[in-house]
Amino acid sequence: MNSMQQIWDDANESKMSCEVLIIGSGAGGSPTAALLAEAGFDVLVVEEGRWVEQGTVAPFSLDQMEQQYRGGGVTVALGLPSIAYTEGRCAGGGTEVNSGLYRRPPTEVVERWRDRWDVRDLDPDELMKTATEVETDIHVTHLPGPASVPSQLLRQGADALGWKHDESPRWMTYPDGNPRHGQRQSMTRTYLPRAAKAGARILTQCRVNKINISHGKATYADISLANGQAGRISFKFVFVCGGAIQTPAILQRSGLRKNIGQTLAVHPTVKLSARFADAINVPDDVPVHQVKEFAPDLSFGGSASHAGLIALSLLDQWSDFKGAIEDWRNMAVYYAAITSEGRGRVMSVPGLVDPVVTYRLTARDRELLRSGLSRLSLLMLEAGATEVYPAFRGAPIVRGRKDLATLQKRFSANKASVMTVHLCSTVPLGENRDLCGAGSYGLVHETKNVYVNDASLLPDAPGVNPQASVMAIAVRNARHFIAQEKPHA
Amino acid sequence: MPNNPTHLPLIITGAAGWLGRALSSHVAHNADGLGVSQLIALVRDSEEQALLQSSLPKDNNLDLRILIGDVTNTPDIDRLFASSSGAFDLVHTAGIIHPKKIADLFAVNETATKNVMQRALHRGARRVVHISSNSPFGNNPHTQDTFRADEPFNPYLAYGASKMGGEIAVQESVSQGLNAVIVRPPWFYGPFQPARQTTFFSMVKSGKFPVFGDGAQRRSMVFIDNLVDGVCRARAWEGEPGRGWWIADTQAYRVSEIVETVGRALTDEGHTVKKNRLRLPHLLGQVAETADGFIQRTGRYVQQVHVLGEMNKTIACDISSATHDLGYVPAVSLYEGMRRSIRWCAQQGIEL
Ligand SMILES: Cc1cc2nc3c(=O)[nH]c(=O)nc-3n(C[C@H](O)[C@H](O)[C@H](O)COP(=O)(O)OP(=O)(O)OC[C@H]3O[C@@H](n4cnc5c(N)ncnc54)[C@H](O)[C@@H]3O)c2cc1C
Repeated sequence: MNSMQQIWDDANESKMSCEVLIIGSGAGGSPTAALLAEAGFDVLVVEEGRWVEQGTVAPFSLDQMEQQYRGGGVTVALGLPSIAYTEGRCAGGGTEVNSGLYRRPPTEVVERWRDRWDVRDLDPDELMKTATEVETDIHVTHLPGPASVPSQLLRQGADALGWKHDESPRWMTYPDGNPRHGQRQSMTRTYLPRAAKAGARILTQCRVNKINISHGKATYADISLANGQAGRISFKFVFVCGGAIQTPAILQRSGLRKNIGQTLAVHPTVKLSARFADAINVPDDVPVHQVKEFAPDLSFGGSASHAGLIALSLLDQWSDFKGAIEDWRNMAVYYAAITSEGRGRVMSVPGLVDPVVTYRLTARDRELLRSGLSRLSLLMLEAGATEVYPAFRGAPIVRGRKDLATLQKRFSANKASVMTVHLCSTVPLGENRDLCGAGSYGLVHETKNVYVNDASLLPDAPGVNPQASVMAIAVRNARHFIAQEKPHA
Repeated sequence: MPNNPTHLPLIITGAAGWLGRALSSHVAHNADGLGVSQLIALVRDSEEQALLQSSLPKDNNLDLRILIGDVTNTPDIDRLFASSSGAFDLVHTAGIIHPKKIADLFAVNETATKNVMQRALHRGARRVVHISSNSPFGNNPHTQDTFRADEPFNPYLAYGASKMGGEIAVQESVSQGLNAVIVRPPWFYGPFQPARQTTFFSMVKSGKFPVFGDGAQRRSMVFIDNLVDGVCRARAWEGEPGRGWWIADTQAYRVSEIVETVGRALTDEGHTVKKNRLRLPHLLGQVAETADGFIQRTGRYVQQVHVLGEMNKTIACDISSATHDLGYVPAVSLYEGMRRSIRWCAQQGIEL
């Protein structure tokens, strides 16, 4: 692609400079880069991961985890139970590997953010207008045809119980109109090429270690390149968009700590695999239906389900469950996600590359996980599952309603494989100095030119898939920055 | 909106119980409208027989047969069903909640239910209404959660497990062809209440009703007449067997709101009510629950401990499918229902 000429896969200069440095090219960093470059700023995006052209790795595969995830997809927040989390690490960040399910932030959530964190001028209507623009830019659309079988099963189960559900739209295009041939409109397909076209430079396999700040003013970043070479990039402004785990870690390494990394919010998730009489497995896609009957507290949906992931979901009670794996073609993995009262911490530790992350579930969170897993199991029985395998140590195989009582009796969150892919709120935005790490538009408190513009800013977890919220807020903040700084440039 | 059947006998088990008497009394008043040609009531002994008779209106022209027998005794069940020839309806209210020993719970709530359902199936019952409870489903995971019509089992202690056994027995018979549905009342109150229930009023009156934590736990409640209405509607409903409904008030109440409303109802009925000040820490509720579980595992049962252990829970249920399917709308409000209950106690000469 011609417009990609400016993308250097190997930088050979050890010193560079730019007007605006953007660290991270995910859902927050990429739109920021595009808007600022289009407004005439001299933008340099640095991204720790590689540029992986879509279609060169199988979606939702182990190969993809290896290439596009941090730590191969195995990162853990410590606590009882530990919570496994995943972050994308590649050009485009999480948007390249995720399920593409698009959910606007609910109005009441935006109002809560505005009121409790005192976010200036955060107007729900304005934010929805911004969301609409983003929806056009990344082609948010419903399926052009019938959903996959695992998705339809979810819907059938919910219908049988009279539970509300809907189809989540996705950022996808369907070039040949076949709902199985979607192409994810991730950042490498949308905002990154736009940024490059407007003159932004994009440097992959370049990791920012710290930002040098004195008297609140940041001047340059220390980086390392893939070949181990160290370097320095000087700038006038910096936007930290490394995601909700890496952003606070970078800020902490740079000496910024006030309300940074203290309030990690996630949607803790438990899983099960369901076995049916017929072959239903779709290894390279995820269901688009979500059950919203108990939202926002509880949501149900489908997960990636290739054979390896089915094996993983059976692991907790392998001795009883292992027989099922041979039948993986008849199986699919589903999840129950909760909104959590608990909070976690991100702490950068000198000498360690990755920060230490902890998370504590509250008593209510634990009860909700129990209830979520059993309600989801009931739904799968109603969808026609012959057997349900909940993912926790000591779990029974659920074949009928009576087994649900055993499930609930034996469940404890401590025995469960709790995981999350939705991470946020480590640098909450707003004017409330007791709670917020950054101001209403992402300028880190007590700094003059260090901005955050990614999932870290969301004051708490939105209770829906977060990328739409991340992007709408990022675009809002980028516009504000342009309006503030352009006249002086 | 269900239509009442044309004249059929109605069998009520547990007819001298709280719900049994309320239901029998309603049937006695409205036999024609309900399409009941004969009421066949099962009671345990002559004392219960007298109790039931005293609950019925004096001058009714109901064809009433009272049978003395025990649902745990199969020959008694056979006799019960032999007393009607041809089609009949059955409301199975017989059950125990505060047993002498735990084994009794299962004998009555599970095994007897199974036997009753099997007999009803073989004797050609037209429609069976089984009275269950919230306890097979435990409590809500948090104070804002509400049980939907269909929930996974999560029985609360032995009573819950025995009522779950009852529901499973009903569903088994349904799969064999029995036309049965299930009505699930949560906490109900009102006339015909047993003596233990009056402590509820006395506790509120003396300002000593246990409110745990901030009193934000929510409880669904139902006035007995509303429950009877729901049962009658379930009997007349013509849809698929196997269905179950919550019969309760539209909204669940915060425990603090319940205490406040009862206090108001007592005051308006002329009682002096002290300000409630029994705020207990959540921990105590948990301790009581643990103690209850422990005692029950030894096969014994202590009512006060059981009730205390349950008071810090949210048990809230959604009645929308009862409204949708049965046209059930609770007619009597909590305040009005409480006033009627207090007045009923006064009429019975019960000191509060
Ligand atoms: C498997 C999975 C499925 C998901 N499914 C959905 C979904 O269906 N719908 C939805 O709305 N959301 C989903 N999400 C969440 C969504 O992807 C994130 O909310 C979103 O990507 C967050 O954007 P971000 O900009 O904060 O971080 P990211 O998108 O993670 O981007 C951060 C980028 O910064 C880079 N970076 C980090 N540290 C440094 C450093 N020191 N130097 C240089 N670069 C650095 C990272 O490599 C990464 O590329 C999913 C996430 C995952 C992992």
